[in-house]
Amino acid sequence: MQFSYFRRVAAGGAVAALAFAGVGALAAGPAYAATSKVSVVHGIPDTPVDVYVNGKKTLDNFKPGDVAGPLNLEEGDYDIALTKPGEPIGSAILKADNAAVPGGANISIAAHLDAAGQPKITPFVNDVSKVDAGKARLIVRHTAAAPAVDVRAGGTPVFEGLTNPNEAKGDVDAGEVKADVVLAGTDTVAIGPADLNLKEGTATIVYAIGSAEGKTLGVVAQTITGLHSAPGGVPSGDGGQAGTGVDTWWYVLTGAGVLLLLGGGVRMATARTGRK
Amino acid sequence: MTVRNRGALAALAAGVAALTAAALVACANQPAGTVGAEEATTLASPAPSVANAPSVPVTAGELPAGPKIIPPVRLLIPEIGVTATVNAVGINERTNEFEVPPSVDQIGWYRYGPGLETEAGSVVIAGHVDSAKQGKGAFFRLRELDQGDTLTATGSDGEARRYRVVAREEYAKTKIPLDRYFARDGKPRLTLITCGGPFDAKARKYRDNIVVTAVPA
Repeated sequence: MQFSYFRRVAAGGAVAALAFAGVGALAAGPAYAATSKVSVVHGIPDTPVDVYVNGKKTLDNFKPGDVAGPLNLEEGDYDIALTKPGEPIGSAILKADNAAVPGGANISIAAHLDAAGQPKITPFVNDVSKVDAGKARLIVRHTAAAPAVDVRAGGTPVFEGLTNPNEAKGDVDAGEVKADVVLAGTDTVAIGPADLNLKEGTATIVYAIGSAEGKTLGVVAQTITGLHSAPGGVPSGDGGQAGTGVDTWWYVLTGAGVLLLLGGGVRMATARTGRK
Repeated sequence: MTVRNRGALAALAAGVAALTAAALVACANQPAGTVGAEEATTLASPAPSVANAPSVPVTAGELPAGPKIIPPVRLLIPEIGVTATVNAVGINERTNEFEVPPSVDQIGWYRYGPGLETEAGSVVIAGHVDSAKQGKGAFFRLRELDQGDTLTATGSDGEARRYRVVAREEYAKTKIPLDRYFARDGKPRLTLITCGGPFDAKARKYRDNIVVTAVPA
């Protein structure tokens, strides 16, 4: 038992370290942006955990299906460990040592099962770029012990052949869609259908979690707000009745007025001199 | 009095009349001007976030539920004689611009932003100042609104909510800080937008936008 834990920990650590290095390369943000927003997503069925960051208990009895954060973490290396609730950090069931958190990124760390059903930690960089006005971003992550899947919206595949631990994403019209997950290339529904409410200006991240074999497939969702853009403009009139400022004829009128005044004045003056 | 003198006097009188008329026209066509810009800016500043909250927020990762938004359905502005139906509108796909209702006696609420229930951010309602075909629009006199004027927005829940004007601003369309008026953070406020400023008769476009900001009264 102890031995198997050790093996699992070692393997998990290596994978996580590698994956984090990838994150660093992807998220080359501005040098001054030192902190990152980090969320933690729990996608391992039936396994509540305590989460330790750098040896300090950060989450107590964190339950499957929950999302924690976002935490503001300074750019740097972190040791992350998951234990059974109440157990010491020495008997962690999963850990990632020296995980590099880059600066200025928005990251989700998912504790989940790999395709073969082993627990692992995968960091994802969240696309928090602005969406166009009227749009919403949908991101689907395959973090379940299951084969490749297609994601369908209204019965039509929108993301195809998605495998663990990868993501697919797209910006779509905001609003409600009926979505489900099927085994890739088939009509065999694995998850759903569910009504997805994609709110404008947000990113909805859906994690497929659990295990097909264990019949624990499900979803965890995370929403990131504040990605909206303003409309390009507000066109609200083409009549011209409310126009302010003055037209050409105003300058003509003013010019004529000035000339008349000058002309009249000169004539008056010369008339007086003439009478003398 | 000589004929010559009379002619000179007439010229003077005509000159004075012309200049007076020009001055009157110029005064009447002054841009609406800006009042309360500072207050409008302050309202848009997001509240400072609580620094380093000790515990990490944990939420159930459920699929987002349908938002409970209360759209405005009617707007009353007694000061400038506005009683208008409010439609929920979005974005014109082709232009990426605010889809102001084509009928000029109706006005549009930006359905992607907050509704009247909001505790933060800007509820945006835009309407036509006028139209070449339909004449004056619901917001024809929007630029006459002043600080302290009140208006009433009624929501789909039937509740009438009163607002007080705090700012009226005029911006060239190329310079207007739309992000601020379509913000979803900052103090709760109602933002009314229409067109104004000099009219380009060739392009059939106004140069400016008039923006009125009101807060719950």
